[in-house]
Amino acid sequence: MTSIAIIDYGRGNVRSVFNALDYIGVTATVTDDPAVIDNASHILLPGVGAFGDAVDALKARGLPEVLHRQAFDKGKPFLGVCVGMQVLASKSYEHGEHAGLGWLDAEVRRIDPGPDGLKVPHMGWNSVTPTRAHPLFDGIKTETLVFYFVHSFAVTTEDADKVLATSDYGKPFTATLAWDNIVTTQFHPEKSQDSGLEVLTNFTRWNP
Amino acid sequence: MLKKRIIPKFLLRDGRLVKYRQFFDDERRAGNPVSTAKVYNDYGADEFIVLDIVPSEESKAKVRDIVKTMSEEIFMPFTVGGGVTSLDDVNGLLRAGADKVSVNSYAVRNPSFVAEAARAFGDQCMAVSIDYKEVSPGVPRVFIDGGREKTSHNPVDWALRTQDSNCGEILLTSIDRDGMMSGYDVDMIAQLDEQLDVPLVVSGGCGGLQHCIDAFASGASAVAISSLFLFTDHSPIKLRSHLVSNGINVRASKTSRN
Repeated sequence: MTSIAIIDYGRGNVRSVFNALDYIGVTATVTDDPAVIDNASHILLPGVGAFGDAVDALKARGLPEVLHRQAFDKGKPFLGVCVGMQVLASKSYEHGEHAGLGWLDAEVRRIDPGPDGLKVPHMGWNSVTPTRAHPLFDGIKTETLVFYFVHSFAVTTEDADKVLATSDYGKPFTATLAWDNIVTTQFHPEKSQDSGLEVLTNFTRWNP
Repeated sequence: MLKKRIIPKFLLRDGRLVKYRQFFDDERRAGNPVSTAKVYNDYGADEFIVLDIVPSEESKAKVRDIVKTMSEEIFMPFTVGGGVTSLDDVNGLLRAGADKVSVNSYAVRNPSFVAEAARAFGDQCMAVSIDYKEVSPGVPRVFIDGGREKTSHNPVDWALRTQDSNCGEILLTSIDRDGMMSGYDVDMIAQLDEQLDVPLVVSGGCGGLQHCIDAFASGASAVAISSLFLFTDHSPIKLRSHLVSNGINVRASKTSRN
């Protein structure tokens, strides 16, 4: 049976993720308990706040090893959202230089306002363009692949095969990563109305 | 590209939806905030703003309950504010389901607070709300305490200063235009947008669909709307389709299933 562990590392609004999963009828637990996480079928790492702070909070609870075991040894479906996506990178430049969990070769850099003086944070609804088919976007109409973003930093990776979708803000940036049993979204599915609920539903049905 | 946003703004007094003109005149009761929010959710609004306009400890607890209830069934971003004077207040609202917390009077009284809260909860969580009114022709000043107390700040200077405290967004409200439905203060919007690096949400004066087009043309990232939705037959659906047909980049529809 599907049961989702929403990883609680004492930061941000994890309640919204729980509410969204509850609304679509999926059993979820907000937890930092390794035993509960071990028993879950799917892992969801939410995220709000600053990169360094999030990594420190995960480490203080011994969670990086626990999460690594779930994703790599047990191969459970894993979803990282926003900062929960960014912390998987090797390095971030948010408020100084910080090492991430290093699950992929990627860096997190501040969004460049560019010559048009774009507003940062990139805040609001933006359309997302998949680079290939993936169960995460199953059944969602192309014109409604529009999701809510709120971030000042974005993930850049040379590992182009892992980029599942991009979005555009002055130039393309990474909106979604996917490899093996791991997916991530820079946008907030739990705040993206029907389209976001569809993504969460697809994740909970995913059996890679 | 990033879409322009349509944001219903809810003013709460003792937990009930209310609306005035120019902040104090002509109080009209506008119903239950939760059921109204559900309707706007079905209509595909992009976000909500919820402001407690006469905050007390009692009303703040009610607002947390209302936000908690809303966030159980409505999956879009909420900005919530009113009487925020501590990191505990910010945390309480975030934990209730708010995504952004709006600070107004306390940002003026304690200028280091927004930076402190941004450090604790992330820049994107902090929205600074600025209410202003012309005190003589061509002289706008920031007002605090729900428009009761005048300050010496010019709204543009104040917005630029608060941006330096790492707030993620500015909510700009013209007291003169509040509830008057005669159009946004497009000159002020254009002047501020020109200099601002963070998104600008504008409020005060929306009375017709063209007013939103004018605000976006002046540089607003989002329009906050109360009277137009509460007291006319316009809805977020109607506004959205009007904006789309006028070439404004907004979400076209919220339905997602094939």
